[in-house]
Amino acid sequence: MQSPSIGCLTRDPGSFSESRWHYASSLNELREQGEYDVVLVDLDAADAADVVFLLRCDARYHLTLIYAGRDRTGNAPELSDGSIPTDPNAITEAWRKWHQRLSEFNRGRYPERFDEYVLAWLWTRPEGRLKPVRHPHHAQFYYYPLLSAFADNEPVNEMVWLQLMMEQGWLERGPLTDRIRLCTHCGSARLNYVDVCPDCHALEIAREPSLHCFTCGHVAPQDHFLKQGLMLCPNCLTRLRHIGSDYDRPLENYRCRACQSFFVDAEVEVRCLDCDTHHTPDELRIREVRPYSLSEQGRLRCRQGFSGEAQAESHFGRLNLVSANAFTNLLNWQIQQSRRYGETAHGSLVLLRFANLGEALSQERGTTLLDSLIDRIRETIRETDRCARTRDELLWLLLPHTDRQGMDRLRERLTELNRLFREQDGIHIDLRTVGITLPENLLPQEDSDLLMARLGGEVS
Amino acid sequence: MLEALAVFPNELAAGGLTRLFLVLFPFFVLLELPLSLLVLAGVIRWYTRNLMTTPRASLYRPRVSCIITCYSEGRDVQNTLLSLCEQLYPGEVELIPVVDGATANEATMEAVRDFRVDPVRYPNRFLRPIAKWQRGGRVSSLNAGLSHATGEIVFALDGDTSFDNAMIGAMVRHFEDPSVPAVSGSLRVRNSWHSLATVMQSLEYFLSIQTSRVGLGEWNTVNNISGAFGAFRTSFLRHIGGWDTHTAEDLDLTLRIKSYFGRHPLRIPFEPTAVGHTDVPDTLRGFFMQRLRWDGDLFFLYIRKHRHSMTPRVLGWRNFLMTLFSGFFFQLVLPFLIVGYTLAGLVLLPLNVIAVLAVLIYAVYLLQTLILYLAGLLMVSERPWNDLKLAIALPVFPVFMFFLRGWGVICTLNEMFRRGHEETSMAPWWVLRRGRRF
Repeated sequence: MQSPSIGCLTRDPGSFSESRWHYASSLNELREQGEYDVVLVDLDAADAADVVFLLRCDARYHLTLIYAGRDRTGNAPELSDGSIPTDPNAITEAWRKWHQRLSEFNRGRYPERFDEYVLAWLWTRPEGRLKPVRHPHHAQFYYYPLLSAFADNEPVNEMVWLQLMMEQGWLERGPLTDRIRLCTHCGSARLNYVDVCPDCHALEIAREPSLHCFTCGHVAPQDHFLKQGLMLCPNCLTRLRHIGSDYDRPLENYRCRACQSFFVDAEVEVRCLDCDTHHTPDELRIREVRPYSLSEQGRLRCRQGFSGEAQAESHFGRLNLVSANAFTNLLNWQIQQSRRYGETAHGSLVLLRFANLGEALSQERGTTLLDSLIDRIRETIRETDRCARTRDELLWLLLPHTDRQGMDRLRERLTELNRLFREQDGIHIDLRTVGITLPENLLPQEDSDLLMARLGGEVS
Repeated sequence: MLEALAVFPNELAAGGLTRLFLVLFPFFVLLELPLSLLVLAGVIRWYTRNLMTTPRASLYRPRVSCIITCYSEGRDVQNTLLSLCEQLYPGEVELIPVVDGATANEATMEAVRDFRVDPVRYPNRFLRPIAKWQRGGRVSSLNAGLSHATGEIVFALDGDTSFDNAMIGAMVRHFEDPSVPAVSGSLRVRNSWHSLATVMQSLEYFLSIQTSRVGLGEWNTVNNISGAFGAFRTSFLRHIGGWDTHTAEDLDLTLRIKSYFGRHPLRIPFEPTAVGHTDVPDTLRGFFMQRLRWDGDLFFLYIRKHRHSMTPRVLGWRNFLMTLFSGFFFQLVLPFLIVGYTLAGLVLLPLNVIAVLAVLIYAVYLLQTLILYLAGLLMVSERPWNDLKLAIALPVFPVFMFFLRGWGVICTLNEMFRRGHEETSMAPWWVLRRGRRF
């Protein structure tokens, strides 16, 4: 087997004796030189971490072996594959193993989509884990550097994505790192817990001690008792001299300075520092932060390929999904038929968008609800229909030999179904549908990609 | 009794009564009466002065440090601390509980540690405890507290004494006058109704502290600033070196302050409205053992330690005479006279004559007690209804005082020949041994 091409980012090339390596002094220089099989980043810890992250963001280096720093204590930068080995042969050896595993991934197909990249990264690194990193500037305080790096320009809701992967059984949970509470409105963890008046929710409350006169039993706020530096009961005018024998402090209530109400316990309110939404503490979304690794099932899927039975476990898997490529091919074929044969080759394309999929999945009954919704979809569609998912929340249905009427009936049934669920369970799945009929709604020169992009725009 | 009454006319006829009168009357008139009248006049003066002056609000609010000497009081310390937090005084109050022998007195240390000053409820109260792990005695506790005190006024208080909420305000008022180096506060008995002994002590505290010191204070002749409750100007106290080792450090300090009186126009007021509540011994035995220490200490201080300052040049004439009279003569000499006369009477006089004399003396002293009691009740007491209940102890009080005077002889002799002050429990022996001997 050939040996890998190695790029080395260093400020001091003299310290390396390898002549076959390609040296670069800056990240840009390295990128311009071309693609390497292995990259060595010989910088100090802070710079190395930044460079590794930037390299991982680059699609060419998503999966590449990257060694960074010369720290032998095991504190290699996040997303790197460890510190630079002292023995150059070790690099070649590691690269061979990596290459071997990558070639086994998904029956030899190089990953294309986001989740394929993540699974491939975990697959090529047997010890690899999706590690949450705490960062105070991050709205949720924790983020997964790998997911951020691979997300590219497409924003990925890390929580939703991980939830989905868990449900499909491809990832497994590591030990719990932390539990955070999030604003239900903007998902920020930057929350302020304040005690407020239970009546008017004003912030301006103050503790107000009360006194109890033993002589007559009068109880009133302390300042009613103080008169010219003396403590007199306002009711019986007894001079109160000594705590415990003349008076005591039976209660300590709060007084709201806005509405003057008097209460025992203040209410705790949570204020989001980002969007200023006010919640009660039990309204907050709870999120468990943990590392994730590839599960047995996930490894199986990586080995056996993504198409076919492997998807059987997922919610949408029961819909006989075809891969996105296959679907576009089918759609192209349908478009061609419709163009050629006109009215006799009717066909319809329906797009369903589950806009709040992540939220629905995080609710207890949401998953069950989604399952039954998908069951109903399965019952509604015919054997000849084809389904595919291009993104987590986008479900495409290709209905051959179905005219406008038939398609509208299907859409009606789905909306009807969703309304029923909402009324029964109070859980809202934000289902948006859009559909077109071929060839009537087809624009000139439009192929499957353009058509799908057009519909995708309509539901977003 | 009837027999005694029968003897009376006989004695009268034989001119015996005249003789007796001549013997006894000077005793009373020359010694007891002037002092009683002085106290009474002082009380009346204080009362009328109080009636005439209009209360005024002062902006003088210095920071106050309270040194609370704690030993084996346990959780009672928390009552003391709480009563100090509860003070109505608007200025800052620093609480310095000094736990002596904190290793041994774990319960007390724990109580001090557990006490929390709620900063919202008590915004001007600061707790700064001091733990003296090794026992060093009361004086070392007070001086340790003094060295850490940051207040302009320092209070020396006992860990088992709690205070009325007007206490600090009433005491601090006097320090506005720069000629006041110290103020004495009033003490009441907290466990008044526990036993006969505590009732008698309640009455004694009421008469000899609350009432008499008002009278004495009015003439600037306060005999003592109680160790359980006194206030001092910190700068002055530091100037004279704080508390001195040996027992009865309170009377010692009072005498040392007074030794400036001959040269400077200083005064020590007594504040009857600043009240501390303290526990007194429950049993007569406990009471007499306490007095053995206290009264013995009088001899030690007046005769041994402060002999040289007993001159009008040092104390000023007024305090010299007063100390000579009330301190030296009443406390040290009079008990011997009383015991001497009683023993002589028992030997020389027939029993019935003694009985008559006893009744006569009893009646005179009862009258004197009654007058002082009424003056205190009507003019001084801030809790008259409480003190009214003590009236039932009045008939027994002269007898109680007679025995107390008699006991005074033993106390003095114990100090004279056995140096009883060195046996005090106020400091450990290894500290006392190093103190200067007088």
